Amino acid sequence: MSADREIAELVYQSCFLLDEMNFAGYLELCAPDFRYRIVAYSPELRKDMVWQDVNREDFKHHLDLIPKHVREMVSLSRFPTLYTIRYDNDGKRANVLSGLQVFKTKLDGGETKLYGVCRLHDVVDLTNARPLLAFREVRMETRQLGTGSQIPF
Amino acid sequence: MSRTSEEWRHKPRLPATHYVNSRIYTDEEIHREEIEKIFNKVWLIACHESEMAAKGDFRTFFHPSGRSLIIVRGEDGKVRAFYNTCSHRGNKVVQVPSGNAKRFTCVFHHWSYDATGACVDIPRETAGYGERLCKATVGLREVKCESGLGGFIWVNIDDGCESLGAFVGDALEDLEVELSQPLEVFHYHQAVVETNYKLWHDTNRELYHDYMHYHNRLTGLSQKGYFDRVYHTYPNGHVQLDSMEIQYQAYRGKQRTLTWPGAAAASHKLIDIFPGTTFILRTPSMRIDTMTPLGANRVLIEFRGLGLKSDTPDERAERLKEHNNLWGPFGLNLHEDLHANEMQTEAMRDGVEHAHVLHAREENHTTHDEIGMRQYYAEWGRRMGRSPSDPYRA
Repeated sequence: MSADREIAELVYQSCFLLDEMNFAGYLELCAPDFRYRIVAYSPELRKDMVWQDVNREDFKHHLDLIPKHVREMVSLSRFPTLYTIRYDNDGKRANVLSGLQVFKTKLDGGETKLYGVCRLHDVVDLTNARPLLAFREVRMETRQLGTGSQIPF
Repeated sequence: MSRTSEEWRHKPRLPATHYVNSRIYTDEEIHREEIEKIFNKVWLIACHESEMAAKGDFRTFFHPSGRSLIIVRGEDGKVRAFYNTCSHRGNKVVQVPSGNAKRFTCVFHHWSYDATGACVDIPRETAGYGERLCKATVGLREVKCESGLGGFIWVNIDDGCESLGAFVGDALEDLEVELSQPLEVFHYHQAVVETNYKLWHDTNRELYHDYMHYHNRLTGLSQKGYFDRVYHTYPNGHVQLDSMEIQYQAYRGKQRTLTWPGAAAASHKLIDIFPGTTFILRTPSMRIDTMTPLGANRVLIEFRGLGLKSDTPDERAERLKEHNNLWGPFGLNLHEDLHANEMQTEAMRDGVEHAHVLHAREENHTTHDEIGMRQYYAEWGRRMGRSPSDPYRA
């Protein structure tokens, strides 16, 4: 499989595993030094806001706690579109830019609505047997998320 | 034992102050009356001074009356507020939520206003109006505006209103030191939630719902001193709850050590200002909730996270982290509260056989006493001229 194809599968797989709430599977795609951020530009404050900024350990802790909290009975479906893959000169890392649409489906009745639009900026570590996510930044375009989501995008 | 329709509708055998008719949460007519009799008469937070620190900085604010307001810091440093409405043909003058400008020019016919609200330019003024109308008489409509109590910008569209100080009184006393520090908003997000604004504010006025929050059960409810906290009521419907030390280590394995001047590390303080503003200090970060009702079953809530202006990068990062873990749009606690409010609204939507909502817990005004809500509805009834438990009584 080509490197491009492996990287594309990594991005798609990461979204699919979060859809499935397979958090352990998601973490297997992440490098030991993985860092996850959610940011949004606030036109009200006229600056970037950080909505989540965690290392692998804190991210795992957050994911582990989700089942213990009360949550709206919905599922999220992530639809990534891969835009570009840029390799570092030494070939050890790749910067990947994707668009992401997230839809919310209610368990009761099955109604689906567009929930959020954002971009994913991933840094992929290519030094292992398979590509791993070293960094993911979710840059939110949508800032009004109703009751919010405990499950990351 | 379950109840029949008649039993379900029967008033509880409690004092009328201890329950409300659920239709006060769903009736559009009552909602419109609340806007007129409550929201158009009280002081509301529009923004924070850190959002408009420089001369010419402005913010817009969607007032519950349905009007957009412009809040602007003038060349003299004073903050003023105006209807965001052109005096010519009623167009919205400012379209963006914030910025910096010397003048506000309406895109429609280019009438311009300065930061004092004066009209400073009308294209072809004399040619069109002669002596019949001049700039001096067509300024923007100014709104009462005061800066204070933590550096917040408060507005009141009632020209005859009492002062902000008289309205709030001593209710923010417990946060006096904490709010006297120069503060900075580091987080802002809006949530439109399908619920009545009072149901949201009720949640901020009772801690009995800590049973819902896994985090709060571990760090508060099961900890020493939790049930010793006392609610204090203030005139105009405000309420304050005594602080306690939160045991964060029970949830995250590590206690929070970063403090806030005036508050111990890991302390929790809560103050509610009628009709819908909440100050929550959960050291290391502070959250302020404000709201704009959009209808009987819809509310726009604005969430702000604050730190100290003097924070080092490391301190700010720590405040941010704790804020986001619980209260950010991807946090674990805020979603629980908002989701519960939407479920309440689904269950009691208008037209459904109405029920009564209980505010009847009495525990000497301590942590699970529902005095906070009773205090609220006493003020609501006074301003509305309706009984919350029997709102349609002639």
